[in-house]
Amino acid sequence: MDDLQIRRCILADPKSRDEAMLNALKSDPTKEKFAKEVEALDFEIARAMCIPTPDDLANKLILRQTLASHQQQKSKKRIRLAMAASVAFVMGLSINFMMFSNSYKNLGDYAIAHVNHEAEHFSNNDLSSVTLASLNEKMAVFNGSFNSTLGTLIFADYCRFDGNKSLHLVFQGQASPVNMFILPNDKDIEFIASFANDKLQGRSLHFNHSNIIVVGDKKEPIEQWRERVNQNISWSI
Amino acid sequence: MATKQVRYEALVKALHADLYRYGYWLCHDKHIAEDLVQETFLRAWRALDSLKDEKAAKSWLITILRRENARRFERKRFDMSEYEEATITDVKALSSEQDIENHWLREKIAQLPEEYREPLVLQVIGGFSGEEIASMLSLNKNTVMTRLFRARNQLKEAVDNEPKLRGRHNG
Repeated sequence: MDDLQIRRCILADPKSRDEAMLNALKSDPTKEKFAKEVEALDFEIARAMCIPTPDDLANKLILRQTLASHQQQKSKKRIRLAMAASVAFVMGLSINFMMFSNSYKNLGDYAIAHVNHEAEHFSNNDLSSVTLASLNEKMAVFNGSFNSTLGTLIFADYCRFDGNKSLHLVFQGQASPVNMFILPNDKDIEFIASFANDKLQGRSLHFNHSNIIVVGDKKEPIEQWRERVNQNISWSI
Repeated sequence: MATKQVRYEALVKALHADLYRYGYWLCHDKHIAEDLVQETFLRAWRALDSLKDEKAAKSWLITILRRENARRFERKRFDMSEYEEATITDVKALSSEQDIENHWLREKIAQLPEEYREPLVLQVIGGFSGEEIASMLSLNKNTVMTRLFRARNQLKEAVDNEPKLRGRHNG
């Protein structure tokens, strides 16, 4: 290490002392003196640089942060509340939409889904329990009445299926129950006069304010049912 | 939340003085230095989760402070035209010989070109190595060492050429 190099090293970093440097300093008193001078200077520099910090700076910093994060939390709370409110709002909307909108394009889909949904509750061997009077009482809501019970009426009650309020009648059929639905006209559901799937078949009758749908299995003389409804129904308006 | 608060307070207590001094030597104004430190710690609080290594806290905070200082220049570039380093007033009343000495040396430090002064402050106050300073200032290590050498060399020459003061001090 030459002299200039050593001076540079000492001035650049007075605290660093590698092996070569220590040897050089030991062997040369002038270099050692220089190193000591720079060390002393560095001490002075460090002292000069240590300007006094303002009183309570640390406390001020903590206080400011506490206030700032308090503000932040307050606004966060507001944001969270707003978010919760919007989530609730959207959920309300979508539940409303799901509950009260029609997922069926036509009466046939609706009727078949309704029958399938409730098929297990009805058996063809159930005893007749509904009289014509109580049937017509229920029909009054639709401003209609029947002249006869059309057959053996097992069940008659209002039914809300997928957002549509209807009167659900179950008759004894030849092999399985025949379902009949009386439901108000709904422009969202397309009227379809005749429909079927692999097990069921159905007919719909369109009246001024209501539709009547008959659904039975494939063996059922469904046209007869349709005819029977047509002959026995009468509307007050 | 509590742990974050605890970390923050520990950080403030351990490092605010060094940070303030570093800020002071960047801007030579104790009020601006205080503002810089306030702003730095506020930003540090917001980003505290990103600080994984507590050992790196000091250089992390200094990096934030440098950025804040640079922003200050962007904001008021035109205010700085009248700036004169020789007119720096000292923060302390001159009450003793040591203070006179410090005051004199402080002026000399303040008169150093900024590119020399900053690495020197980082080395002396921050206790950073040449490599660390190099990475903080985005310079290579040799440049940093050269600047450190020049900074001390200028101070040493100034001290050597001030026989009266040094004599008084030494005698």
